[in-house]
Amino acid sequence: MRMRRVLLSLVFSIGVTLVLAARGGADVAFPLQANSVRFAAIGDMGTGESFQIDVARQMAKSREAFPFEFVITLGDNIYTGSAPSDFDKDFAVPYKPLLDAGVQFYAALGNHDSTNERFYKPFNMNGANYYTYKKGNVRFFALDSNYMDPKQVAWLTSQLSDAGTGGWKICYFHHPLYSSGMFHGPDLDLRKTLEPLFVTYGVDAVFAGHDHVYERILPQRGIYYFTEGASGELRAGNLAPSAITAKGFDADRSFMMIEIAGDDLYFRTTSRAGVVVDSGVIHRTIRPTPGGVSHE
Amino acid sequence: MTRLMTARASRSRIRSGLLALAISVLATGLVSGQAATVSKNQKEQAEQAADLAGFQEFGARVQAYVKLQKTVEGSLPGLGPTDLPEMITAHQEALARKIREARPHAKTGDLFTSAAHSAFRHATRSVLEGPHSASSLAYMQPGAPSPGMRLVVNEIYPDTAPFTALSPELLAAFPALPAEVAYAIVGRTLLVIDVKSRLIVDVARLMFPPPS
Repeated sequence: MRMRRVLLSLVFSIGVTLVLAARGGADVAFPLQANSVRFAAIGDMGTGESFQIDVARQMAKSREAFPFEFVITLGDNIYTGSAPSDFDKDFAVPYKPLLDAGVQFYAALGNHDSTNERFYKPFNMNGANYYTYKKGNVRFFALDSNYMDPKQVAWLTSQLSDAGTGGWKICYFHHPLYSSGMFHGPDLDLRKTLEPLFVTYGVDAVFAGHDHVYERILPQRGIYYFTEGASGELRAGNLAPSAITAKGFDADRSFMMIEIAGDDLYFRTTSRAGVVVDSGVIHRTIRPTPGGVSHE
Repeated sequence: MTRLMTARASRSRIRSGLLALAISVLATGLVSGQAATVSKNQKEQAEQAADLAGFQEFGARVQAYVKLQKTVEGSLPGLGPTDLPEMITAHQEALARKIREARPHAKTGDLFTSAAHSAFRHATRSVLEGPHSASSLAYMQPGAPSPGMRLVVNEIYPDTAPFTALSPELLAAFPALPAEVAYAIVGRTLLVIDVKSRLIVDVARLMFPPPS
């Protein structure tokens, strides 16, 4: 009887854990697999204020257990201006422990950024407003959502097409296509332009900022969307969870850590205080596209 | 009997007259409707031709500006990726100063001539009146740069002012710009700014409809 109760309790416990993991409520452990791609994501961080420094400190601390190799920035990297002191105050000083440890940053521009940030070597933009690079089995596309002109759209189409179907495709930029943030919300015009490309060419996940909250969106047309716009700025209580919200957090600043191992993407969102506010696993799946071509 | 026949003939004549009048009115209406359509088409064609000419004039003036900008930048040490933000700021400031010196009489309307302004207005209206214009109106939304911002040709776009994300639809409707310059929106004003120096190259006010 006692044994049965223990077993029942164990089964119940495993069941709850699985459900929470699927919904992102439990703290899913990173597998830390050899040759996996490990990175962090931060957005709207460049204030130079103590909150940003707290988050940066927490990132460095988290890196002891999860050694991410690089950071993608989702825009608004430097809020306070474009004087040399702004670069230092809003970026070089807060992230010095990470920079000293050899962590690379790959920036996207936000609406508060000077386009001349593209010449700042630590942002790895090589003078371009939008660019692409590959890490392991992941192709990243850093876009300039301030200025999605036909030239950039043509470039993205060509790059997505050339990337083939063999690995992950991750796009990141500043303005979210989906957001339940009350201050900005989704950029519908941008969605109208980009989403058909993402669907056609099998983009797997999209990261954005702009709304100063954290939100994970339920898959939209097979694509996972994250907003992380609270790594320095915060609009507390600004998230109005909607039917498409899988998980949201707007009580404190936060950052994300991601590991991509084979066809699985593990993510964990941590608050400034070090509390895990969301985590989960995304499995890369084959999905049909309007052209009838399937993408892995 | 004769009176009865006369009355019938009279009614018939009136009926025929009314019928002829109706046909005539209808025919006149059709002809004038066709004429109105023809006139409307001609007006639209004339407007399109004028807009095309306006955009061409704008394009030529943009090219002239970019040529000047490149000449000026060529006299400065080149700017490539650097670890030193001082180098970026120094280049930005020197370029702005030298461009100002090279076009001391630059004024509003140098790029947005009257014809170009009109062409941009038509392009803008056609996008904003479309079915997907909600976020094309981002310039009115929270976080957009203050409409009261000082916007003067040959001055710097303020360092701490945000940019309004331009709708892809608007950018597709406007003439493509070389990489050295970009469109920007502040309130109801459309700007062309020099990307590297952040100089305001030209300003077109009242380009966008007022907030409803």
